[in-house]
Amino acid sequence: MHTTDEFAPPRRRFVSRHALSDRLLFLAPAGLYLLALTVFPFVYSVYLSLHRVKLTTLHRKRFTGLENYYDLFTDNLFLDALKNTAVLTVASITIEIILGFIAAKVFFSLRSSAAGSFMRSMSIIPMMITPICIGLIFSYIFNPTLGVANYVLGQASIEPLGWFSDPDVALTTIILVNSWQWTPFMMLLMLAGLTSIDQEQYEAAEVDGAKWHHVARWIEIPAIRGIVIVGVILRIIDNLRLFDIVYVTTRGGPGSSTEVVTFFAYKQDFQYFQVGYGSAAAVVILVISIIITTFAIRHLRRVENE
Amino acid sequence: MRGNDQPSKRQLKALKTKKKELSIHGRRRLRAGEVVSLHIDTSFCAQRRKQMKTLNLAMLSSVVAVGAGAAHAQTDWGNVLGDFADTPVNIMVIQDPFIDPLRDISSDFEGVTGASVTVDGFGYDPLHEKQILGCSQRDSQYDVLFIDGIWVGEFVEAGCLDPVEGRLDDTDPELIAWDDYVESFRGQAVWDGQRQCLPVGAYWHMLHYRKDLFEAEGIDPPETFDEVMAAAKFFAESDKYPDVSGYAMNFRRGAAAGQQYFEWIYSAGGKPWESNFPGSEDAYGDQTPTLTSPESVAMLQWFEDMVPYGPKGVEGFAWDERFNSFAQGNVAMINAWSVRTPGLENPDISEVVGKWDVTLFPHAEGAESTPPVGGWIMCLNQYSERKDAAWDFMRWFASPEVHKQWVLKGAPASRHSTFRDAEVIAAQPWLPTLYESAKAAWVELRPRHPMTFEMIDAIGLHVNRAIIDEVSPEEAMADATEEVTEMLQDAGILE
Repeated sequence: MHTTDEFAPPRRRFVSRHALSDRLLFLAPAGLYLLALTVFPFVYSVYLSLHRVKLTTLHRKRFTGLENYYDLFTDNLFLDALKNTAVLTVASITIEIILGFIAAKVFFSLRSSAAGSFMRSMSIIPMMITPICIGLIFSYIFNPTLGVANYVLGQASIEPLGWFSDPDVALTTIILVNSWQWTPFMMLLMLAGLTSIDQEQYEAAEVDGAKWHHVARWIEIPAIRGIVIVGVILRIIDNLRLFDIVYVTTRGGPGSSTEVVTFFAYKQDFQYFQVGYGSAAAVVILVISIIITTFAIRHLRRVENE
Repeated sequence: MRGNDQPSKRQLKALKTKKKELSIHGRRRLRAGEVVSLHIDTSFCAQRRKQMKTLNLAMLSSVVAVGAGAAHAQTDWGNVLGDFADTPVNIMVIQDPFIDPLRDISSDFEGVTGASVTVDGFGYDPLHEKQILGCSQRDSQYDVLFIDGIWVGEFVEAGCLDPVEGRLDDTDPELIAWDDYVESFRGQAVWDGQRQCLPVGAYWHMLHYRKDLFEAEGIDPPETFDEVMAAAKFFAESDKYPDVSGYAMNFRRGAAAGQQYFEWIYSAGGKPWESNFPGSEDAYGDQTPTLTSPESVAMLQWFEDMVPYGPKGVEGFAWDERFNSFAQGNVAMINAWSVRTPGLENPDISEVVGKWDVTLFPHAEGAESTPPVGGWIMCLNQYSERKDAAWDFMRWFASPEVHKQWVLKGAPASRHSTFRDAEVIAAQPWLPTLYESAKAAWVELRPRHPMTFEMIDAIGLHVNRAIIDEVSPEEAMADATEEVTEMLQDAGILE
């Protein structure tokens, strides 16, 4: 027979001073690590962002308060970068979810075959290539005169495109490249979600005469929604950090059509060495990331509670 | 572990290479009937360092004597340079086509001094980034820094360089022969009234054109902007040459388009700021931007008008794309830095071997050709811990005789004596045109103050916006003026 005490939460036990110091000792390395590599750089970035300062003349820094932030939000290039990053993030993730779901369904139906297993393994290769290599590969593929893409268009009697040089096409090309690389990530998450669905639910749906879209709408999507939101959060953070592909292929051009926030901050910090202005941009990027991630996590918890 | 008196593998390799070169040069000169006295110590295989060094010196001196011609006396480097056995000399340099000749010839220095030379190459932006970051961290890893001549103001302001002025004063003037450097480039190594670096890697622009196509069509090489456009239009629209477009320019946003602006503005009859024009005695006296001048706007309009005659995607072209399109035979004309020119005769990378020629940089009607000048100056890292070895490398490398050997391996000529040397001209037949360009160039082509990188990039953004028709040339230049003015005022350069 159980007593009520058995189900009560454990009482807080008295911790001796000696045991407490032992615990702190174990925590100290991680704490120092965080302090040195996360907290201090962030605080120093905020400090720099309040100054007009160049890396080459740090001794001449001048306190300007929030002027860098004011300049940032009146800088057309930064505003373009914010807009492009938002478009790129939304478009890339949308494509990745749609194509990822289709691919996951295909691989789910082939889950018991050796060919399916092989194709699944092959399909995640893009994810394993470093983004700088992806950028280089696609800069060759989309080379306007020597690239395969325009050659194929030419064979189909279609006018060749300036994939990275036409301001109306360049951002779309970056989105396609980005989606190509990260669709397998979404596919893997969704495949894991689909695999976790009880087979009996499918059988019941079949007995009820459900069509494929009913199965998707009422069984599969609800089952994978939580895991997809986790994937979306990770991909939002990834896209806010997207740099390599833009650096290799377009350098933010033509005009400002592919300028993204990380490339903007990189230029300020490491090309012009305007570390005050660059730090302000970095702080803004971080704040945006925190806000978006906080909202996304709240939404995720709500979904889980449902 | 290698004993102290044993020659290193690197030294032995350098010695063998030198011996091979020596025999080649020796035979050639003797065939030409010239009297050459070569004394080779038969103790070639001796293992003691002293003997090795003596032999190296004898052979290197002989090679230099054979190659340098009558213009320069043979230098006894053994007496000039120090003994830096096992001392590393690390060099940071642009990954331009001269890097292999640099690595190649550095083994001679290793043979003479025993130093160990490492040459690390980087792309343009990464080089600038790494050098400035290294300087801000007082990094002593690299002893010799090759910097773009236009970065000198920024590097001096940041205290990255140990000026060579004092060391030059203590050096035999004949050894480096400063006045032998072409004026339009050597001025880029001077800042704050001091010689900061050695101007070793000079580039100038020439108009490169497809000689075979121009001759076939009976078209003279263009001299003016109008003639360039007419020829570009002809080839771009000719059904006879469906795979050839007219003219490729650097239109990519940022440094590529920004530098192109400066490269063309003087030949367009304009100037980038008030007191900067060819022949100006105080180019930095009044830096009020003149980007909205009629010449500047007209030039930008001309750029935009040239876009249809360029290859597909020319709006995104930078240095590599421009050169490659010409080298692959896809374009009839480009303007390009002379460092790339030898590559056009390399069948491994060029489809136009023997089909091209060069002429002077074009100019607008009523203006004069002012070919762009640029290139790399060799500097001593302020934070190097091996400055004596580094300086010995620098003065050895910068000397007229070693410079000639370097140029003969495919590197760019920077000296009057090299431009006039028959052997060098035979190896690089375009040199007379390049020399003419060098003499017509203006040393202050681009700004050299600490804001240069940012300023050129900003102008490049606005030039590109006009190229892609996002704004009109007038609007682009007005926006550029506003941004540059604010930038210069903020930096205290402009009141």
